[in-house]
Amino acid sequence: MKESYSKAEENDLIRASLAGDKLAFGEIVNRYRKMVARTVKGMLGDSVFAEDIGQEVFIKLYNSLSEFRGESKLATYIQKIAVNLTLNEIKRRKRSLSMFSHKGDDEIYEYEVADHEDEKRRDAKEMVNKALMNLDPKFRIVVIMRMLQGYSTKETAEMLELPLGTVLSRLSRAQEQLKEILGKL
Amino acid sequence: MKRSEIKNLIISSLDANSASDEITRRLEDEGISYDFSEGFSGRVIERILALAPTVSRELEFVRNLSSAFYRIALTGVAAIVILIISIYLMEGSISLDSFLGLGDISDESIICLLTGN
Repeated sequence: MKESYSKAEENDLIRASLAGDKLAFGEIVNRYRKMVARTVKGMLGDSVFAEDIGQEVFIKLYNSLSEFRGESKLATYIQKIAVNLTLNEIKRRKRSLSMFSHKGDDEIYEYEVADHEDEKRRDAKEMVNKALMNLDPKFRIVVIMRMLQGYSTKETAEMLELPLGTVLSRLSRAQEQLKEILGKL
Repeated sequence: MKRSEIKNLIISSLDANSASDEITRRLEDEGISYDFSEGFSGRVIERILALAPTVSRELEFVRNLSSAFYRIALTGVAAIVILIISIYLMEGSISLDSFLGLGDISDESIICLLTGN
């Protein structure tokens, strides 16, 4: 069982992780790393800082796994941790930026697109990253939930703990802004 | 897919009733996908393992502190009880004067001691 966690049920993985089995927790990380990467890298840019926040998400999950009651899906639980840590990081950066420098928001982000991707794919990804970074974080997060995570508006509202009406109005405003931004790219 | 088609796909993904999961898949096919670098899981586990001794050390300290507190408190209570019993046996009563060691000293002798007259 220990060596083949790839086919294990989520509940078994949680139980084994709580018992201190690092292999089981490693499997949880592998299953949800892409989902977390979409949120964290979509919000913070494709940078090394995003990697750190990604690690923090899973460390926080590990430390709070005993509090997970299974009332929601594990994916939802992890996603909420990722959203909270990412938004906190953006707030922290804004605070330190306003205290120490006058750099623009997009100057913080670094883009590192993997070398093996062909130019066309790299262009597409860069275009999306630039468009996202030009959005206000409160619009960016709803765009990520819809466009990159593929959640419905209802799921997005649940994930961000916002009323559905707020999500819909933010999506509509984000759509208008994206049309303008993408028109220039 | 052309650049303009990707842009349209992005815009349409934000429509309230669009099938965003399908759009997400199509965008992924066009290279708009995200992942952490190689060895990410290993690094997470390493950090968890590095944090574990610190946490257990803190827990051990708290546990030791609480057991030490009980020992000190019990010793203190026992000392107070012994003191009260010994005062009672020596002075024959438990009053404020006997606690202060003034049980068999009269007021005059205290005044004499303090003033020297």
